[in-house]
Amino acid sequence: MNSYEMPLVLFTVFSQSAIGLVVLSALRQVGGPDTDLRSIRTEWLAAGFVLLAGLTASVFHLGHPSGMVRALTNLGRAWLSREALTTTIFLAMVAAGLVLMRKKNNLWFSLATAAVGLLVLIAMGMTYSPVSFPAVNNALPFVFFSLTALLLGSSAGLMFVPESSRPMLTRVLTGSLIVALVIYLLVPCIWLSGGTIMKQTAGLWLASPLYWTRIVIGLVLPLALVKLLKGTQAWLWAVILIGELLGRAVFFADTVHTAVNMGGLY
Amino acid sequence: MKKQLGFLVDSDRCIGCFTCAMACKNQYHQENGVVWREVYPLKEEIYPHKERAFYSLACNHCENPACLNVCPVEAYFKREEDGVVVHEQDKCIGCGNCIRSCPYGAPRFNPVLKKAEKCSLCHQRLDAGLKPMCVLSCPVEAIQVIELSTLDTTGLVHYAPGFPKQPSLNPSVRFRLPKLPEVVRRKNHE
Repeated sequence: MNSYEMPLVLFTVFSQSAIGLVVLSALRQVGGPDTDLRSIRTEWLAAGFVLLAGLTASVFHLGHPSGMVRALTNLGRAWLSREALTTTIFLAMVAAGLVLMRKKNNLWFSLATAAVGLLVLIAMGMTYSPVSFPAVNNALPFVFFSLTALLLGSSAGLMFVPESSRPMLTRVLTGSLIVALVIYLLVPCIWLSGGTIMKQTAGLWLASPLYWTRIVIGLVLPLALVKLLKGTQAWLWAVILIGELLGRAVFFADTVHTAVNMGGLY
Repeated sequence: MKKQLGFLVDSDRCIGCFTCAMACKNQYHQENGVVWREVYPLKEEIYPHKERAFYSLACNHCENPACLNVCPVEAYFKREEDGVVVHEQDKCIGCGNCIRSCPYGAPRFNPVLKKAEKCSLCHQRLDAGLKPMCVLSCPVEAIQVIELSTLDTTGLVHYAPGFPKQPSLNPSVRFRLPKLPEVVRRKNHE
């Protein structure tokens, strides 16, 4: 078992939450009559604060936080540098959007910011899928991170949007909960048919109380509440956030590194 | 092929005495718990005998090193003259990305300096015409420095059982596999 990497858990979950808020806000502006500037600005403001909180947490992950700016040095090769760059650009665009959209919403700027948010998700997916973790040396981190963005973006958006946009966000949230539930239950089972390290990862995930707590609190309970309450409640966001934080802790702590089996069959 | 130095791990000779790991520690005085060279016993599924065989491993100075590719501050470089992968600790910000990304677990975290560090193939000793400390200290000559572009690979294995196969990184290490001991029995007299 690795460390829980709490700064990285907070950074990834919070920044993905901000991306989800902005992407869904931009999509609402394209697809619907939602031009309530006040709610859009509130969403972007919330996204900015959540992203800032995530970036602040990420600094505590560094042995030498004063060297944080130098993390942009290796843009040619390192996905971590690209992740840092795209996240910074995304934060700058959210701040600029708040200024630009003081009197009127700006669809194209919203879409451009959402596109940068997607680039952040890609960079994050690549950063956390190194060859040393065979179970996630693929598109899974990107899929996990995109689901986090959709789950937290839609559930947080429900706190800000006008009544006319709630059905759309509720549909996104319900769909994301179902897809996430299926993926998070299936993936460890598929790992069981892989090599030694994948099997060890599956074993650790399936034996982890955090994993099952996350499935129940973060996915099954919200899904049941959406069904039982015939709609979504704003406080659902807090329940889903707890689930996502637990799930991310499992991702960092219980995904097995190849070096642990040196001297054994792979 | 450019000149590329690496290690030959002769598991047939290795007796698992850890002298190589101790010699490395004596040379560089790493912090408690930090080791650049480890001696891994082979599991029974690979070496089915009550005696154990071992791989003594450190950084493999890969042709395409994961540590170098993922480091956001370019704290790693590969020496042109011999392909040795060197970590410049002054540049390191302690993000741990190299530690997570190396499939061989070569870079380690120094909890005092809060930076990564790893085997440098004793490049300063190589430059002075000396052998690396692990090679020099081995009592059974189970570790050697090899030059891959001129190496006779007869009888050597690149990806030995018990060692992660990562062709995309092309680790600069070769193995001589351990042979099982022969059992000599006295012939029954008729």
